Amino acid sequence: MEHRKVRGNGIDIHVAIQGPSNGPIVLLLHGFPELWYSWRHQIPGLAAHGYRAVAPDLRGYGDSDAPPEISSYTCFHIVSDLVAIISALTSSEEEKVFVVGHDWGALIAWYLCLFRPDKVKALVNLGVPFSFGPTDPSAKPLDDLRAFYGNDFYMCRFQEHGEIEAEIGEVGIERVLKRILTYRDPGPLIMPKDKSFWGCKDESISLPSWLSEEDVAYYVTKFEEKGFSGGVNFYRNFNRNNELLGPWVGKRIEVPTKFVIGELDMVNYMPGVKEYIHGPKFKEDVPLLEEPVVVMEGVAHFLNQEMPQEILQFILDFISKF
Amino acid sequence: MDLTFDHSFVKVNGIKMHVAEKSPSVVGNGAFDGVISRPVILFLHGFPELWYTWRHQMLALSSLGYRTIAPDLRGYGDTDAPESVDAYTSLHIVGDLIGLIDAVVGDREKVFVVGHDWGAIIAWHLCLLRPDRVKALVNMSVVFDPWNPKRKPISTFKSFYGDDYYICRFQEYGEIEAEFAKVGTERVLLELLTYRNPGPILLPKGKRYEDPVSLPSWLTDYDVKYYVSKYEKNGFTGPVNYYRNMDRTWELMGSLSNAQVKVPVKFIIGDQDLTYHMPGTKKYIENGRFKSHVPLLDEVVVIEGVGHFLHEERPDEISKHIHDYFLTF
Repeated sequence: MEHRKVRGNGIDIHVAIQGPSNGPIVLLLHGFPELWYSWRHQIPGLAAHGYRAVAPDLRGYGDSDAPPEISSYTCFHIVSDLVAIISALTSSEEEKVFVVGHDWGALIAWYLCLFRPDKVKALVNLGVPFSFGPTDPSAKPLDDLRAFYGNDFYMCRFQEHGEIEAEIGEVGIERVLKRILTYRDPGPLIMPKDKSFWGCKDESISLPSWLSEEDVAYYVTKFEEKGFSGGVNFYRNFNRNNELLGPWVGKRIEVPTKFVIGELDMVNYMPGVKEYIHGPKFKEDVPLLEEPVVVMEGVAHFLNQEMPQEILQFILDFISKF
Repeated sequence: MDLTFDHSFVKVNGIKMHVAEKSPSVVGNGAFDGVISRPVILFLHGFPELWYTWRHQMLALSSLGYRTIAPDLRGYGDTDAPESVDAYTSLHIVGDLIGLIDAVVGDREKVFVVGHDWGAIIAWHLCLLRPDRVKALVNMSVVFDPWNPKRKPISTFKSFYGDDYYICRFQEYGEIEAEFAKVGTERVLLELLTYRNPGPILLPKGKRYEDPVSLPSWLTDYDVKYYVSKYEKNGFTGPVNYYRNMDRTWELMGSLSNAQVKVPVKFIIGDQDLTYHMPGTKKYIENGRFKSHVPLLDEVVVIEGVGHFLHEERPDEISKHIHDYFLTF
């Protein structure tokens, strides 16, 4: 595996790359609070099958640059980093790549397909359906979430600059990451201000079989170095993103797509998501969606880590068709 | 001259947009009512203008069977002008137009587009972001300027033309508005609408506007009164805000790096237009680079002896160019 810095949109992006240099590129996009490392089980498997796996730390994370301003974390900034990475690693402007996204990476992948369908050959998206795409430009998505879930919904708690960062500092990065990565409640992530969500400092959080102490230590090291502001800043641009997405209202995803979600994923329980995933609208918006969508029984949010071989197989089976 | 245009207001992208329309009257005999759909042309004005700049084309082309639609763009005329200075990026304006196109032809159909000056810049971005909504484009005066990571707009203008370049002078919120207020709305509009110098517009502070300005043949007292009435009501902040968002738009458009404009285009420019004389533009058109970014660039027309407001200077010629091109689709 190679670790390299690639020029994004005005910043340096760290990418992990493995696979033959002339292999079709598979761009793997992590979510929150994760890193390129979340794809550690899929990267070697893709490489072994002749693909060139490319997993960046998204802007604000890990070994990539993290600009200080919140305004540098709109979906436009993040997608433009990816377009720059694709340009840097492909041999011609006409060359398309495969994209795999999870959580925030999945949302960013939808936007990449909207803005640059000419760059994406096929998409495997995990966890976040296209119902989170642009709809009503005068709507304020964050305000709607606040009205629905209250001020303690995690996305609302992330809004005030510095607030959640301070709380994470008090609770401790290791505890915070363990709590989030092992979260399996099929319901919204509510974080009351009394910090009760993080549990008692004396109670250790037991790790599932798919997450080792070494894995956690890697995440902790990187988040200790970088902090959480970069990743949290993505959430601080929800309303601004929607204001800027007016041009793409009504635009369909023109890329062949496979969608997989864990049955216990808290996203699966957000308003309208189940109806969207299983109703006709998903296919209307994404005409090349492979049906039926896959709901993995008993699996929670971090499915690419929880069920690594199955996710690798889903990816290989789908992209081999193109 | 019959100037009856239909005026309406449409809710788009969170704002209320004023739209002028001139369409062929439906002379139905029952059998054909509503069956034949008339092609729609969306006209995008520039600075410092309004929907009104398209009056000649709207009259000519509606009589040839087109539905002609001309909005006041966000910040102009009778359309909303949001308070926040950062609500005037290309993404906002294109978002407005997608809403308008949806309202006019539904959310799956395409329209013809004609753009000039700022309207041309917006038209390029509309075609870049939503080629699925534009059947063909006639663009005027401003060539497509592809996104360049090394060229942030305002600092580029500053290094080319200096601090007195009008775009640089427009940057500071409120500053040029105060100066324009001192000079007077009518005088400012006359200066800009009659500008025929092929060189860049320089507005040094304390510039005197004393020389008499005579109206060219293509601009009547009535025309000037119409523009003045709207600009006096709303001021210049909305329109000038577009210039204040050029850097912001650049920051947001990185995703479109090396993207081509994939819409059929006819481009028209006057050889006295100051944009034609901007460094590099003539070469850009002639050496094939324009076409490499706009592969479906079907025709470039350079009209001799014509300045920036070519569709007002030679209305019939421009209307004919538009109709001749759109006929081929």
